[in-house]
Amino acid sequence: MTQQSDGSFRIIGRSLTRSDAEDKVRGKAQYLDDLTMPGVWYADVVRAPVPCGKLLGLHFDESFDWTQVVTVKPEDIPGENIVDMTGLDMPFLAYDRIQYQGEPLALIAAPSKALAREAVNHVRAEVEELPAIQSIQEMVERHKTGLADSLRLLEKKEIRRGDAEGVLAGAGKVLEGEYWTGFQEQLYIEPQGMAAEPMESGGVYIRGSIQCPYYVAPELMKVLNLPLEKIRVEQTVTGGAFGGKEEFPTLPGGYCALLALKAGRPVKMVYDRHEDILFTTKRHPSWTRYRTALAEDGRIAAMEVDMILDGGAYTTISPVVLYRGILHAALGYRCENVTVRGFVYASNSFPCGAFRGFGAPQAYWGLESHVEDLAEQAGLGPDEFRLKNCLQEGDITPTGQHLLTSVGTPAVLKEALRRSDFHAKLARCDQGRPGAKSWYGIGVSFFAHGAGFTGDGEAKFGSRAAMELGRLSDGRPGLTLYASSTEMGQGAKTVLAQMAAEGAGLPFDRVFYPLPDTRVVPDSGPTVASRTTMVVGNILYHAGHKMKCLLEEAAAKHCFGGASVRLEGGRFFAEGVEARPFEEVAEVLLAQGEPLRTEHQFALPPHIRWDQERFVGDAYPAYSWACNVAEVEVDPLTLQIHLRKITAVYDVGRIINPTLAIGQLQGGLVQTIGYALMETMQVRKGLYDANRLQTYIIPTALDVPEMDLQFLEYSCDELAPGAKGLGEITMNGLAPAIGNAVRRATGCRLCAIPMRPEDLYATLYQGAKD
Amino acid sequence: MKTLEEIFCRQPETLNEALTLLSDEATRGVLLSGGTDLVVQWQAGAVPMPEQVIDLSAVPELKEISAQDGCLRIGACVTHAAIRNHALTREALPALVAACASIGARQIQSRGTLGGNVANASPAGDASPALLVADARVVTASLAGERCIPMNEFLLDYRKIDRHPDELILRFELTPCPQGGIERFCKIGTRGAQAISKVMGACRVVMHGKDIQHMALALGSVAATAIRLPETEKLLAGKTLCEELVDEAEACVLREVHPIADIRSTAEYRRWVSGRIVRGFLESL
Ligand SMILES: Cc1cc2nc3c(=O)[nH]c(=O)nc-3n(C[C@H](O)[C@H](O)[C@H](O)COP(=O)(O)OP(=O)(O)OC[C@H]3O[C@@H](n4cnc5c(N)ncnc54)[C@H](O)[C@@H]3O)c2cc1C
Repeated sequence: MTQQSDGSFRIIGRSLTRSDAEDKVRGKAQYLDDLTMPGVWYADVVRAPVPCGKLLGLHFDESFDWTQVVTVKPEDIPGENIVDMTGLDMPFLAYDRIQYQGEPLALIAAPSKALAREAVNHVRAEVEELPAIQSIQEMVERHKTGLADSLRLLEKKEIRRGDAEGVLAGAGKVLEGEYWTGFQEQLYIEPQGMAAEPMESGGVYIRGSIQCPYYVAPELMKVLNLPLEKIRVEQTVTGGAFGGKEEFPTLPGGYCALLALKAGRPVKMVYDRHEDILFTTKRHPSWTRYRTALAEDGRIAAMEVDMILDGGAYTTISPVVLYRGILHAALGYRCENVTVRGFVYASNSFPCGAFRGFGAPQAYWGLESHVEDLAEQAGLGPDEFRLKNCLQEGDITPTGQHLLTSVGTPAVLKEALRRSDFHAKLARCDQGRPGAKSWYGIGVSFFAHGAGFTGDGEAKFGSRAAMELGRLSDGRPGLTLYASSTEMGQGAKTVLAQMAAEGAGLPFDRVFYPLPDTRVVPDSGPTVASRTTMVVGNILYHAGHKMKCLLEEAAAKHCFGGASVRLEGGRFFAEGVEARPFEEVAEVLLAQGEPLRTEHQFALPPHIRWDQERFVGDAYPAYSWACNVAEVEVDPLTLQIHLRKITAVYDVGRIINPTLAIGQLQGGLVQTIGYALMETMQVRKGLYDANRLQTYIIPTALDVPEMDLQFLEYSCDELAPGAKGLGEITMNGLAPAIGNAVRRATGCRLCAIPMRPEDLYATLYQGAKD
Repeated sequence: MKTLEEIFCRQPETLNEALTLLSDEATRGVLLSGGTDLVVQWQAGAVPMPEQVIDLSAVPELKEISAQDGCLRIGACVTHAAIRNHALTREALPALVAACASIGARQIQSRGTLGGNVANASPAGDASPALLVADARVVTASLAGERCIPMNEFLLDYRKIDRHPDELILRFELTPCPQGGIERFCKIGTRGAQAISKVMGACRVVMHGKDIQHMALALGSVAATAIRLPETEKLLAGKTLCEELVDEAEACVLREVHPIADIRSTAEYRRWVSGRIVRGFLESL
């Protein structure tokens, strides 16, 4: 076992107050809409009136005075009319085919929001409407009945180990299950907002509420016809993102940039909530089908999985979501014969995008619901079956990866089962017992999350970060960190500074993590994929260590007469003389005028191998592991589902800041309560039906049950200081744990989330779901 | 596009002043109480922002709770929080108190008012079923005088009430729950707080042992307005409570309600759970 708790850290492992707390609590933090931009104009968008069709013409009403505003039509685009994401199928402004309702057709900037909106209302799109695909149900129906050719396939990919088809063909009994998930809105508190202004040197300066500063420029290069260095991107204080500000901000960033360059003045666009729900990305709706054969002894002989994601209108980042989805769809249990096939088809709704979990919550809704049926078939309890079959150190994943280091299973499973007293409570489940005043049920789920980019993505990317000795905002000496990773509420600003300070041997308050600006920071990668603490933390920890060596050398030379010096806990120690505090020495070093700067580039452990073509090898550098136990009470009178308790045990590697880690876990679990029990939206007449906070129902404080949360630290020693991913795995497994609890409470398996009393009623009393 | 700041707002300090403003078309404005329905509707574009409003929140008569001539008077601008906390309402109208305590959450309860809830005339207005089982009368006022209208007649249709353009709702008059009487309120929402009802119901019952002497039942969100359930009430009144009677009552409710499907729920579930709510009331007696 690799579990360890290293007492040698001074700053890592402490619940230091987050460094952005005071500004946010006092209302001093400057979000995009708080910034004053002299002469700013407001952007608005002329949107397609139908979900699918042919654009015949755009008519600008002659009664309107168009000289008051600036417009950008497709023919005004200086470069190529294309958004340069994973696919190259999305135009910036639709000009021929319309693929979703609300697709941008033209852009308008005006001195006031009201005037911009008025101008938009004076543009009429002439269209010929065509039949649209508007639900995953329709997609799956066509896929199953051999009509897949009638759909636009955005991506497909397969994982194969052994011969699942062969074993299933020869198996006596094959267990089958189909599982569905719907859209989910990220619902960050601060809505989307971007601003752009022309730079005197040519080019454009783009600011806004974003996760990934280095995504924006390359994705806009083509459309703006500007070289990378002429597109400067800076993050403004960001009030929540959850994936929603990963790739999406490129669109409003581009609208503002195009308008600003044409208008020759700053242009900004801040969405209101209604617009933000209607015209931004959602989590991909999914369908998974599992076909599994068990061996006599209760082991899994073969598993075949099909997964379909609804990608929305264009490719954007859907292939990457699909990869993560299929990589997790059979990840959890020992099995020599596995096939996972994944497909993303296009529909006529807003392109789906990144959302915390990125395909894995969809996968685990299927897998962990299905495993419940497997346990029953094997004649084992859901706990026993999982303990018997779960992956452990030394086991091999579906892509052939040997799990060798930092494997917190079966520890997480055992601990969660023990803490929740699962086995004893299982016997008390009501199974829809007639006459009961309340139906009690308990359910478990076991799951993982690969931390960092898939495969050798991190190795290819080569993230870099740097730090420099200078003066902090209090005028005193300290280190400023340079990386493109973003604070969006999750605490990155704090934990990255903790790791850098630890590496450098300095106090936490002498290290500052500013808002990234692509003009000055190296590319440490996007703030996604549960990679920031593990990967960027590792880089800054090492850069910090290099800084410590540099400071020791410089101090030795300039302050200690060449004696050998050690920097520790913010003090310089040398043989035979009194220790001197960092700040005193740093003043001397700063006076020398030599820049003291260190940089580090990320390196994966050398044994990581990945074949992207065949999807074979080490899919992730490290995995986090977790087990969720949910306890519910279903009211037999009304079928309302009351979540009473969550027990969650997580191995996410070394914990850098316990309070922030618990906060991430609580937040992710609450977001999953909504996903599992409440949040639902459908595309009706081209648009999401739940389009306001009044109709898109997320949990309130009263919907949050008792939580018993525990971390087990299986430090990832290959990537010091040993953190793995935490942000996303918080959303992977609670929905199936609740589903399994609801099943034990009512005797009824719901195959789709959210699970609402209406669905229980339909399944229990109406026979079928409408 | 209008903004909130552009709305002309008058704030009368006496009832007479308010009624005078209402009597003249030139000064007549949309009545504003707590604003928790109106402002949301304006912002969402569901209702156009008006040129002018009359803010009733400074008229003292509209904010009183009192007991008179054996009935309880609640002013139109009394907040849900005041109803929740007041000794008179707590004593005499437990279902209304429970309903008001279920509206939104504390913030909304502190601003939102009973008059606003009823005048907004949403079938999902949580106060209406409790008012119906308390045989509420709505007292409206204009310069021409007062009118007293039974609650079930005041609620005309989906988002329609029997209010003349020069009138405001002055107060509600309710019959207190009799000694030994029992009231219940039940709300099926979409979540624990800040939930618009899928279905909600209230009942007022007077029992003598197992004999039902008086039975008033009302449901909301199952029709264009909140409704009483006369058939089910008739079925139950004067009977002895037993299991078969509960079954019959549940079945009778299903015949009496014809809810619709919307974004919050399905028609089938609403209909079924209406019967279950009544079952729950009866089983709790
Ligand atoms: C977040 C939130 C949660 C909510 N939750 C609930 C809930 O759970 N249950 C529920 O039922 N409602 C809920 N509501 C709706 C609303 O809060 C209630 O209906 C409240 O009682 C309305 O009262 P008000 O004083 O704010 O009305 P206002 O918005 O001021 O007015 C509402 C209507 O009544 C009219 N009006 C007001 N006073 C008078 C008068 N004296 N005479 C004639 N007409 C008058 C107005 O012209 C307007 O048409 C919620 C609202 C919000 C914003």
